[in-house]
Amino acid sequence: MLDTDVIQKILPQRYPFLMIDRIVELETAKKVVAIKNVTVNEGFFSGHFPDQPVMPGVLIIEAMAQAAIMLFYDPAKPLAENKTFFLGSVKTRFLEPVFPGDQIKITVLAQKFISSGSIVEAVAQVGEKEVCRAELGFMIKHGPRFPSDKGNGEG
Amino acid sequence: MQDLESEIRALIAEIIERSPAEITPDANFFTDLGVDSMMALEILTAVEKKYKIQIPEEKLAQFTTLKQTVIVAGEYLAAKPQNA
Repeated sequence: MLDTDVIQKILPQRYPFLMIDRIVELETAKKVVAIKNVTVNEGFFSGHFPDQPVMPGVLIIEAMAQAAIMLFYDPAKPLAENKTFFLGSVKTRFLEPVFPGDQIKITVLAQKFISSGSIVEAVAQVGEKEVCRAELGFMIKHGPRFPSDKGNGEG
Repeated sequence: MQDLESEIRALIAEIIERSPAEITPDANFFTDLGVDSMMALEILTAVEKKYKIQIPEEKLAQFTTLKQTVIVAGEYLAAKPQNA
């Protein structure tokens, strides 16, 4: 199990955009199971929606993508250094709304994993109920996060 | 081989959101069809999934045209153990 201290050594995201609270299972390059606790204190609930708080689906996708980054976890080399992850494609189905108080369990399985990217299948559940499923594709750029030179137009 | 080509053409058409007719055997994915490296990886993964084969990362560079993709997929399909 990895807690937030370790997660923050790996993921570059920070408040208010760190969407993973705990990693409960991790098999590098194959599988990640992560937990996102949803509290009523989340900033987005004040606007989405004022009288009816529902977690925006795009943020569930973001949580899945952050969990997927953990597939690249190598204990010897913290990922936050010198690697940028670009989410390149998302195919998704939102099945149920997510409310304050829910705990989302995200299971990510790599369909294809190469040194420069990955295609994954992700499922988000609250309890036994599936709330979202998605196929995500992302690429990795090695080197500084946003260099001034224009690369090959990717991203 | 003809069937394989038309199946793979349909897979690619869906991923890159182009009509199958545009994906001629020699149309270059990158210069003619607007494919980027993310889509190329998606094509490789879709081919693996459909035919239950494993194509190594090094072969991704050969995914440049429909013809090349069919050749690589054909190689790995031929090498696939029967009933596996």
